Amino acid sequence: MLKVENLHAGYGLSEVLQGTTLEVPEGKVVALIGANGAGKTTTMRAISGMIKPTKGSVTLGGKAIEGYATSRIARLGLAHSPEGRKVFGPLSVEDNLLLGAYNHLPMFFGFRSKAAVELGKVYELFPRLKERRTQSAGTLSGGEQQMLAIGRALMAKPKVILLDEPSMGLAPVIVLEVFNIIRRLKEAGITLLLVEQFAKSALEVSDYAYVMEHGRIAIAGTPAELHKDERVLAAYLG
Amino acid sequence: MVVSGALMGLVYALIAYGFQLTFATSKSINFGQGELVMLSAFFSLSLLDWGMPYWLMIPGGLLFGVALGLVVERTCVRLALEQKSEGWILMTIIFGLLGFSSAENIWGRDDRPFPTSLPTDALQVFGVNITPLEISVAIGVFTVMGLIELFKRKTLLGKAFEAVSADRDAAELMGVSATRTIMLSYGLSGLVAAMAGILISPITTVGPTMASALILKAFSVAVVAGLDSGFGVVLVGIVLGALESLTSFYLGSGWREAPGLVLLILALAIRPNGVFGKATIRKV
Amino acid sequence: MLKRLLLIRGAELIALAILGTIPLTVSNSYALGLLTLLAIYGILLIGLDVTVGYLGQVNLAQAAFLGIGAYTTGLCINLLGWGMPLSLLAAMGITLVIGALLAFPALRLEGPQFALATLSFTALSTTVLNEWESLTQGAQGLSISRPPLFGINLGASGFYWLCLVLMILVWLAMKNLLSSQWGRAFEALRDSPIATDAMGVGTYRHKVAGFAFGSSLGGLAGGLYVLNFQYLQPQVFTYDLMVILLLGVVLGGRKSLWGAFFGASLIVLLPNLLSNRLLFNVISAIGLLVAVAAGVYGLKKKTMKLFQAMAPVVSMGILVAGGLMVENTEDWRKAIFALMLFSVVVGLPEGIMGFASRYLTQLFRIDPPALPAASALDDVLPMQPADGKALLQLRNLKRHFGGVKAVDDVSFTVSSGHIHGLIGPNGSGKSTAVNVISGLYAPTSGEILLHDKALPYGSLFRVARHGVSRTFQNLQLFGELSALDNVMLALKGVYRHPLPMVLLGFARKEEKRAQADALALLDLVGLRDQARTKAKDLTYGSQRFLEIARALACKPQLLILDEPAAGLSHPDAGNLVNIIKRVHQRGITMILIEHHMDVVSELCDTVTVLDGGKIIAEGTAEVVKRDPLVIKAYLGAAEVTAA
Repeated sequence: MLKVENLHAGYGLSEVLQGTTLEVPEGKVVALIGANGAGKTTTMRAISGMIKPTKGSVTLGGKAIEGYATSRIARLGLAHSPEGRKVFGPLSVEDNLLLGAYNHLPMFFGFRSKAAVELGKVYELFPRLKERRTQSAGTLSGGEQQMLAIGRALMAKPKVILLDEPSMGLAPVIVLEVFNIIRRLKEAGITLLLVEQFAKSALEVSDYAYVMEHGRIAIAGTPAELHKDERVLAAYLG
Repeated sequence: MVVSGALMGLVYALIAYGFQLTFATSKSINFGQGELVMLSAFFSLSLLDWGMPYWLMIPGGLLFGVALGLVVERTCVRLALEQKSEGWILMTIIFGLLGFSSAENIWGRDDRPFPTSLPTDALQVFGVNITPLEISVAIGVFTVMGLIELFKRKTLLGKAFEAVSADRDAAELMGVSATRTIMLSYGLSGLVAAMAGILISPITTVGPTMASALILKAFSVAVVAGLDSGFGVVLVGIVLGALESLTSFYLGSGWREAPGLVLLILALAIRPNGVFGKATIRKV
Repeated sequence: MLKRLLLIRGAELIALAILGTIPLTVSNSYALGLLTLLAIYGILLIGLDVTVGYLGQVNLAQAAFLGIGAYTTGLCINLLGWGMPLSLLAAMGITLVIGALLAFPALRLEGPQFALATLSFTALSTTVLNEWESLTQGAQGLSISRPPLFGINLGASGFYWLCLVLMILVWLAMKNLLSSQWGRAFEALRDSPIATDAMGVGTYRHKVAGFAFGSSLGGLAGGLYVLNFQYLQPQVFTYDLMVILLLGVVLGGRKSLWGAFFGASLIVLLPNLLSNRLLFNVISAIGLLVAVAAGVYGLKKKTMKLFQAMAPVVSMGILVAGGLMVENTEDWRKAIFALMLFSVVVGLPEGIMGFASRYLTQLFRIDPPALPAASALDDVLPMQPADGKALLQLRNLKRHFGGVKAVDDVSFTVSSGHIHGLIGPNGSGKSTAVNVISGLYAPTSGEILLHDKALPYGSLFRVARHGVSRTFQNLQLFGELSALDNVMLALKGVYRHPLPMVLLGFARKEEKRAQADALALLDLVGLRDQARTKAKDLTYGSQRFLEIARALACKPQLLILDEPAAGLSHPDAGNLVNIIKRVHQRGITMILIEHHMDVVSELCDTVTVLDGGKIIAEGTAEVVKRDPLVIKAYLGAAEVTAA
């Protein structure tokens, strides 16, 4: 579904990505792990167009999307839930979710009824969000904001979801909850690229994984294969 | 007198509201907004001169304002925003200068009266003298601001507008094009400017110099209230308008401009984000 | 060295010789009047360039300062009967004070708000000049007669020479200022105001001083202005003049004395340009050709976008067409300015001098002056006693953002001479904690003590002054400055001369000393050979090391390193460990935020582990590593499930 080939990108003069290649097949959960500063978040940002790749290609469902504006890539069916969650603080929880579905709802009237089905699904997955639907998103706790960010991505009915560090800054109990949700998304057949610092947990929920080092993919394989790889064990799995 | 001053203040508030619209989406404002007010007023006057009926003139004038707003965005703002520079300040000042000079040469340097179909006799409302014209100003201001606020809250496009002002990157990730939203905000801001011109012209007159007189007060209102304060501008506008009539009554009409400017500098000194504004958090 | 002297000084001397001798050969009084104005506007624009160029803010108040200076001088002569030097000094003094008063509130603002504040200041001062009739005679205008200077009655050429001499003095003073710590600070605070504050170089103080200085030059120009015309009207000093002044600075080229000079020539010549129809048509046609050529070139080389290439062409095209159609070009004066300014701002943002100097420096590669030998490290960074006493104490520190508790009730103590590790998963609150300590954020509640005394809250600058220095996770270098200048800027305790002495050129010696000291620090991090390289052109690893050298230049008691190893390659990570060890040997206490457990084990004496904004473990690296809570936090949910 999503294919990245020989991707180069960076900020200013420092080239963070130096030829990243990876693939996310339809209906699979793929994990991207590695040390801080290895380029995981940059990979995601380059895929969704938040930074412009300098070289290489990104294809979504067979269509080349590299160099497109972020909003255009989003409309083509890529939902990126960014690092730090980035919910719209002053807006209500429900408005946040509705905006998640921006690409397939009418602009002016009747968007609420059109979104009812999706909204129902998300509220079913996250009952807490339903309780807080009228509250402004900025007042939610970190864990609730993360649920909202995932819910917002689901609202888009996307072809692929990029999920960047969903566990960041959360208490261990909430992290557990987040991984349970990822498992449920996997069962629902959602295509997912997951960046995670908790390598072990990420491997448990994924079908395939890539390990990044210094802007390149260093190791790739199924979780079972990676568990046997001594380099991975030493560096990330303790 | 204080009441009519306060009603004038509503017009400043309306122009200041136009600043808020563009500031919300792009953190930029049009320094030539006064010229937009003036040009739209002149254009509407010409529409009347060409024999257009009064009720058609208003949408015509507003459309002209929208068009000017879009031109400002395309020529003066977009490039600077792409380069993440503050070049737009200078560029919109330049645009204002061009607009001023064009108005001077196309419509003449003199002030011209703007006809109105409303009666000019004052009415007694709760013991205060108000002309129907002044009432029309209040109605016009609240209608436009109310409609735009309704648009922002009740339509998805309006929510997208708010999303861009809350977090531009995240809005892009939802498929909302920030560039288009900024265009929209400049269009709306042009519309608001044109409305202000049409509302105020029958009371004052239309002339090239009306731009600089209005813009400074609108700036004062916007900064004192805070560029992200929503309806705070209305309150500040009313207070400033009333203060102005008092100053010109007691100190002489030459000092008319002074309270706004003093208020502005004071506000900047004490509360740089405005009385109703929010503090910003620095990030590294 | 000789080449440098010849080229730079040579150009100045030639220009000076030409300007100085003109009155001897030309007796045309009109031309002399233009030259006098050129000198006056030169001073004015040099002053304006301080804010518009060096501070990077759109300043719309310079016209007002010209007016205030002019009225001050005029009134001193008329009412007080003062002589020329004293009234000019009065003009400078008053504009300096008013400038500072305006700058205090205004410069806390950024971009548009600053422009607005200065704009309203101009409007307000015009109102006051107009309405305070008892003093200024309002719209009627104020007439003065030029008093003699030291008993000599100055004729037209005499007054011109006076203006020229003053312009040269201003020029030299600016050169002294720009080549001192002040110039460096101006440059740096545009790149990263956060870092200038964090290095203890007050961003705000420098801005205010710079603005006030620029304003006083405006006052000086105003004084000369009234002495030249001997008549004043408030209407002169309004919006229009301001836009023309901006045109001068932008067209001439920002951040350049020569740019200000060219800008001034342009302003002086413009009215003549408009009054001669043929000249106007020729010049606008040339402008169009230049715009077309530059646009085509830019598009071909792909350095410009379509809009950037086309807009100046369209705008100059309108100018040419308009020039042929319109009856009287004088009427369209402002529109013409607007179109020209528009083309320049879009097509040639660095102005004429910026453009020219880029090509000139390529043409004659001028070597920078040689560097002195490095100072001894002991002099720059004296050994600090590492007695193991409590240096920094946090007590119940909290920082919340909305509903998110980034730091939630954290207390720990950093001992003097130790390297204190701060670790935890992403988003556990490490960075927020050091941001609160270093003053970027004010704490929601809690106490921070350094040597048992409360550290100031919420001010990077004041915390830095108390001896806490830091690096940044996302680099905050001054990209446009050389590595050497980055370190020199932060050097503490070297610059002792006050601003007036700096203007007079007395700061050169301490400048050499600063270079020597900075070189010693660059040596410490292994960057001595790249002293002259711009920070933005260094490799990523070197940039990280440069930040450490810069932080050391503040001579800190406590150095905070925020993820210094993030994104480093293996050899660089090794270098980093060595650098930190070397710094440790100087007895400097450090807080180290780090992810790599091996680096932490190798370096840290004590480690504090954060998770979800709370401390979950504390102790030596070995102890912490075996703590079950830490293992849980680091390995995440999998273990929690099992537990």
